[in-house]
Amino acid sequence: MLGIIEAMINGILMGSIYGLTAVGLTLIFGVMKVINFAHGSILMVGMFAAYWFVILTGWNPYFAIPVVVPLLFWFGYSMQSVIIKPIFEAEKDVREPITVIIVTTGIWYVLDNLALMIFGAEFRVAKTSVTGKVFEFYEMYFLLPKVIGAGITLVCGIYLYWFLKHSKMGKAIRATSLDREAASLMGIKQAKIYNVAFGLGSACCGMAACVLIPFYYVYPTVGVPFDIKAFIIVVLGGLGSIPGAILGGIIVGIIENVGAQFMAATWTELLLYGVFLFVLLVKPSGLFGQKHDY
Amino acid sequence: MKQLLNQKPIILLISALLLGALFILPLVVTSPALMQIFILVILYAYFTSTWNFVGGFAGVLPLGHSAFIGIGAYTSTVLFQTFGVSPWLGMIVGGLLAAMMGVIIGLPTLKLRGAYFALATIAVGEGVRVLVENVKQVGPLMINGPSGISIKLTESSFGAFQFDSKLPYYYIILVMLLIVLLLTYFMMNSKIGYYLAAGGEEPEAAEALGIKVSRYRLIAMAISCFLAGLGGTFYAQLMLYIYPKSILGLDLSFEIAFIALIGGRGTILGPVLGALLLRPVSELTRIYFGSMLPGLHLVIFGLILIVVMRYYPKGLVEPVKILLNKLFINRLGKQGGPDGTGSAGKAD
Amino acid sequence: MRMFKPFVVPVVALAMLAGSFGAVQAAPDTVKIGNIIPLSGPSASVGIQGKQARQMAVDEINSAGGIKALGGAKLELLFADSKGDPTVGVTEAERMINSEKVHLLTGCWNSAVTYPATQVAERYGIPFIVPVSVRDTITERGFKNVFRIAAKDGWWAKDQFVFLDDMKKEFNVDVKKVAFVYENGDWGVGFAEKWAELAKERGYEVVLNEPYPSTASDLTPVVIKLKRAKPDVVFMTSNAADAILLTNTMAEMKVNVKAIISSGGGHADPSFLAAAGQNAEYLFDIVEWEADLNRPGLKETNDKYKQLYGHNLNGESVDAYAAMYVIKEALEQAGSTEPEALRKTLSEIQVCGGKVGLLAYDCIDFDESGQNKNASLVIVQTRTKGKEMDRITVWPKNVRRAGYTPVFPQPEK
Repeated sequence: MLGIIEAMINGILMGSIYGLTAVGLTLIFGVMKVINFAHGSILMVGMFAAYWFVILTGWNPYFAIPVVVPLLFWFGYSMQSVIIKPIFEAEKDVREPITVIIVTTGIWYVLDNLALMIFGAEFRVAKTSVTGKVFEFYEMYFLLPKVIGAGITLVCGIYLYWFLKHSKMGKAIRATSLDREAASLMGIKQAKIYNVAFGLGSACCGMAACVLIPFYYVYPTVGVPFDIKAFIIVVLGGLGSIPGAILGGIIVGIIENVGAQFMAATWTELLLYGVFLFVLLVKPSGLFGQKHDY
Repeated sequence: MKQLLNQKPIILLISALLLGALFILPLVVTSPALMQIFILVILYAYFTSTWNFVGGFAGVLPLGHSAFIGIGAYTSTVLFQTFGVSPWLGMIVGGLLAAMMGVIIGLPTLKLRGAYFALATIAVGEGVRVLVENVKQVGPLMINGPSGISIKLTESSFGAFQFDSKLPYYYIILVMLLIVLLLTYFMMNSKIGYYLAAGGEEPEAAEALGIKVSRYRLIAMAISCFLAGLGGTFYAQLMLYIYPKSILGLDLSFEIAFIALIGGRGTILGPVLGALLLRPVSELTRIYFGSMLPGLHLVIFGLILIVVMRYYPKGLVEPVKILLNKLFINRLGKQGGPDGTGSAGKAD
Repeated sequence: MRMFKPFVVPVVALAMLAGSFGAVQAAPDTVKIGNIIPLSGPSASVGIQGKQARQMAVDEINSAGGIKALGGAKLELLFADSKGDPTVGVTEAERMINSEKVHLLTGCWNSAVTYPATQVAERYGIPFIVPVSVRDTITERGFKNVFRIAAKDGWWAKDQFVFLDDMKKEFNVDVKKVAFVYENGDWGVGFAEKWAELAKERGYEVVLNEPYPSTASDLTPVVIKLKRAKPDVVFMTSNAADAILLTNTMAEMKVNVKAIISSGGGHADPSFLAAAGQNAEYLFDIVEWEADLNRPGLKETNDKYKQLYGHNLNGESVDAYAAMYVIKEALEQAGSTEPEALRKTLSEIQVCGGKVGLLAYDCIDFDESGQNKNASLVIVQTRTKGKEMDRITVWPKNVRRAGYTPVFPQPEK
């Protein structure tokens, strides 16, 4: 019984961190209606940035946040305005620009393999002041960086939610995601919104990266397993919904952890895909998504 | 329709020349390694053309095509290894099984829009792969999970679908490709083709006109998956070894989709063009750069993807066609009939 | 011919492709060796080490005068990246044999790639030396052209259990419950099957049999399960990434067992030790070879390699290195590069001492199935040494590092 509780709590912790990576994706997906396959690679870039920050300065990885997050915002913003925008323009009238999906996949290949060429294939781990520390609670052990990570996720989630609901830019973003023609008729510059959305989404990756570095290793294709999970979470939680992404992440985390107590870990993958398909077919808008969006 | 008539002679001529070249190729190329590469190019053109039925005509983006290829491959292989059933028969069974799966999956998912459909296909593809990886044996059938299945080496014979020389493989896949291309042509110009084109991106509009878009999409799906299954068996017999990560993998699904998108989906020659271009690029970069700088070949591949999508989002078939029009209309003036295609090559 | 302008690109591409296959006949005094190894993808770090080891060996052989029986012919290495993909392995094998006209092949580390690639070599009658792929079936198909230097995985699993028996006796400790945690690829699953048989024979209770996906982003659920199962000894088979995750998580969750016995592969990868650090303390690992064996010539060769490439030799690189010398010996004895002659020589040859003396056993000698019958394994224990982790050979007892007593069972965390 204790094992199940331990698994459940661990699922919630790790799941929130998954949710954090998914928040960025849901922003991009929700606003631009584009599957960004390069999402995992952006996470990877963030993780390398955080890793080098820690190695070079020896500071606490959470101090990397003010450095890595704006860096990734800029990275995402530029990527969108330089590479993706022109393609968007070409497909302006198409509801779901499929070529953008291909381009993001191209970006994924390029980023991951550039990283391979530059950094090599080894797995690097940064030893930080919080690495390996555990909370003990009634014979159950929880990793400190994960707890901190979950906390940061919560804070970010609340902040982003507030931002989207109450700030001018946030409202503009929401408007564009609901109906981009109407929004642009209202004077909202579509291109700018996309850039900001992409930048914000990437910044979230940067945050997630800083949270992951204390207990995870970094290597060129580290983004791949997180990428696929992020998509599942985004659908579960509902396109464009921040609380949905975090909640979706927690659900995925719980399925992964608790499910594994009852079956071999290899089957939990299947379980996840099954749940994913189930949601897609029964309630594609997910938990909090807008109804007509699919 | 007019355009088709105008272009027909040109396309036919080029196609005939290409075909001729492809058929006599083995006389010119003697190295089995080079033949192997050509076979793979044609095979990928085949896979992509089968993908085209759904990804090209039904206006959605399936990213899980390898599942059906894999079903075909595993079915014929398992039947052969366990019961000694000829791979040809197994191929048909595999194709039918794949088609059935395709319809079952298509029923609920084809209703989904764009990105959601794409994600669903990824989930299905990966789901099938994980399932096969976890299963060792079903009754008497050895599936071997992650270790994959190695096909018993037999005497080179047609019945056993195994040959010592590369030539039979080459001709078989060439014929298969031609059949698929013909089917594609007929489909494009049939009622189903028109309905699907109308359904394309705005199925609600088509439905309002009384077209049962979903039914035709399912038909396209069934055909696509059946043919994909056949290709899977060919692949298995060519490689004589299949295992989940290769034949049921995401990499294969993605590569097929890319070839179609870069070549030009929804057209007959697009997938072929795409395969002709991308596969050699993939092989060349690996051969020349692979051992020097690991990963460089994939960087190049990715860059090509980005550049082509940036300038030719509908694929490369378009600019090629335009160029052909231009050249032919300029040269043989009279060819250009009533002016749907009229003035210098803007046409399409 | 302007109408063919749009086809220029694909035609040029194909022409380049064809050109690259242009039969550039090998200069008569070079022996070409084709090497198909993973230079990109998840196994890249091991593949690259194999490449380095081969290069070092061939440079030595060539500067010592090449193959004397062939008039001083030099060895030439050609590398192909298998990407860890069997399809690529097969294509490359065909290319190496048919276009590059190699005289011998070596490779491919990943058993899944070696398996079909060797089949290609068998079809064309080109000798294929496998330094390290362990899947039993590679040498169990009745092939005549496949020669494997390392031990088969059945032997690895058996030795792990024999080691456990010896430890139990030496330290008077009882072991009843075992757990298996392994990556769910071909390699891990193969080990798990053998372990299950061996455990049954010896009457152990298997409290956990847990395959996991190698690319999992979080292995905490597996560790929680492991902890709850309370095994005495855990057997593991992992690739580098998951080895790191599991070891770190097991330490953090304070999983207390009497011993952890791993199976080489990821656990033997230098980046594992660097990343897991002290969490890997007391881990037992089984490998073909370790840098502290008391064998002739070992220190010099290892130091040279370390100077060139920055880290110690390990199982894969040592066997790759030895493979080059086996080829040299075979060429010298056969006095020809003709495939059948080479094949025959390889099946009869015994390569002992000299540069190959650094192996854990005395001679490389292939039996009728192509398996090196003398291949043996050693078990090392990982201990902290200053700032780094050290792998100390502990078994068989006669090769144990002098002055070291293994720690068994490992202390509670």
